[in-house]
Amino acid sequence: MKVMVNTGTSVIQAFYEKKGSTLKDEYRQSAAVAFMDLKDMQKLSLKSRDKIKIKSEWGEVVLYVDISYDAPHEGMVFIPRGPWANIIISPETYCCNVPTYKGIPAEIFKTDEDVLLVSQLMNKVYNKYNLDDDKLTDKPVYKKRMI
Amino acid sequence: MIEKPITDYDEEVRNCSCSYCGNNCDDITYLLKDKKIVGVRHACRIGASKIINDQDQRLLNPLVRNDEGILEETTWDVALDKTARLLYESDRPVLYGWGETSVEAIKKGIKIAEKTGAVMDNQSTICHGSSIQAFQNVGHPVMTLGEVKNRADVVVYVGTNPMDDHPRHLSRYTTFPEGFFRKNGRKDRTVITLDPKYTNTAKVSDEWIQFNMNEDYLLFDALRMLLKGESLDEEEIAGVPTSQLENLIQIMKNAEYGALFFGLGVSQTLGKQKNVDMLIQLVEDLNRYSKWSMLPMRGFFNVSGFNIALTSETGYPYGVDFSRGYPRFMVGETTTIDLLNRREPDFFMAISADPGVQFPGYTIKHLINIPTIQIDTHWGPYTELADIVLPSTRVGVETEGTAYRMDSIPLFMKKVIDKPENCHSDEWILTQLYERIEILKQEEDN
Repeated sequence: MKVMVNTGTSVIQAFYEKKGSTLKDEYRQSAAVAFMDLKDMQKLSLKSRDKIKIKSEWGEVVLYVDISYDAPHEGMVFIPRGPWANIIISPETYCCNVPTYKGIPAEIFKTDEDVLLVSQLMNKVYNKYNLDDDKLTDKPVYKKRMI
Repeated sequence: MIEKPITDYDEEVRNCSCSYCGNNCDDITYLLKDKKIVGVRHACRIGASKIINDQDQRLLNPLVRNDEGILEETTWDVALDKTARLLYESDRPVLYGWGETSVEAIKKGIKIAEKTGAVMDNQSTICHGSSIQAFQNVGHPVMTLGEVKNRADVVVYVGTNPMDDHPRHLSRYTTFPEGFFRKNGRKDRTVITLDPKYTNTAKVSDEWIQFNMNEDYLLFDALRMLLKGESLDEEEIAGVPTSQLENLIQIMKNAEYGALFFGLGVSQTLGKQKNVDMLIQLVEDLNRYSKWSMLPMRGFFNVSGFNIALTSETGYPYGVDFSRGYPRFMVGETTTIDLLNRREPDFFMAISADPGVQFPGYTIKHLINIPTIQIDTHWGPYTELADIVLPSTRVGVETEGTAYRMDSIPLFMKKVIDKPENCHSDEWILTQLYERIEILKQEEDN
């Protein structure tokens, strides 16, 4: 289904972001969510907390779905700001320095794939250090110094 | 579940300034037990979470990536020397962030940028940069939040949802408080929200006007036409019935004191600074009939402070490039996102900011190829991409400093508790870096 993506702050996502628990499941549950109009969800036979793959010109990502409490907004999907939303938004600044975070055309499909945790997502999408996915969890991975 | 009030504390520290959003609420009380914060009074949900904070992901020691790509704890000397050398030897360094640190630290940052020919930029570049451009284009009818509290009878929110991202904005400054000329608080005010979504702010407003995304410019232009007495041939503009717009303009025209707040809904959609241009001109036109002023809803607690500090030091608000030895500012050229999209920088340092949360994926992809440094308090998405991590302290909790509220009022932020042993303030870290860069320069000169 074709939709328009809108991103922005939600109070719950900001709560976990500022609390500093971005690696944990609580942050994933609050930020890796596409809030949809109930009518749109019915069109794809989606239930709350089902998973969708959302695809734009810039990338694709798997998210949970939830009923938007800001409805009605048929044809528009709201995703809280965060590493998941970033993958699909447009970096185009039109020479005005601000990327286009809002109003991005995208397409959504129902899926069974997993929604990744932050550490796994960053490793999978950007793969800077080629780390082993199994070792990445909801806790920081680092080596302690021997004293 | 209703949580019981916290009674198990032994010290109360009053009048602290919150370190979350541009509201900079300075009436916060911290509740301490054994020199640790156990509770917060008056703060909103997000502010309290920032002050009390999750300790599981707190950065406590400097970290450097080893050959296997795993971060490893190290000493301050090793981490600082490595950072200073990388920064000194790079051709196109970018120093980004600054929104959540003090003006004192920013000042040190500017000195480093000048010394190393770096680009100095902050979160304006991804949020209200376009608003600042519009202020330079058209002007800015400013106000302070105190004025709004005491005088405003009409408050308009455009493309912003303060109930979610500035939770105390309505209750502390604009809508609910009793003001000198607005004795009955909420009853004396009309609140109107213009937003494509039925946001939490729209839910507490008197009127919600839903308009189509990416049609902001059209909408504001139509409002200006109506204000000037022209009639519209269309029945609907940007998805809003013309009669509703006529009604809105009547309310705005008849206001005794109007305050307009706009957010990223205006500055991040298509049109960008042109949307804000048009909005400013609408406010300008309204001043022929009544007193109107406006403010952008600035996000972080000191994002406005950076613009002020940098303007006073260099003459430009953000995205200042020192690579030619003198400050240069060119929208779309010397700004972080454009630089990264063009794959230009060869060094990237984020100071109290998380590009992993804030930047588009395409932009982040350049950070894979270049050295990345993080100065922050918590492990976040950006730490997963950082080569060197320098743990810092929280301004307003563990370090004192100055920050500017969204209406450009400077506020002092107290130090309340002690910092973790091996963390240092942003100001200390930047001073150390500056000294090390000086030594490297002297070595080269000799």
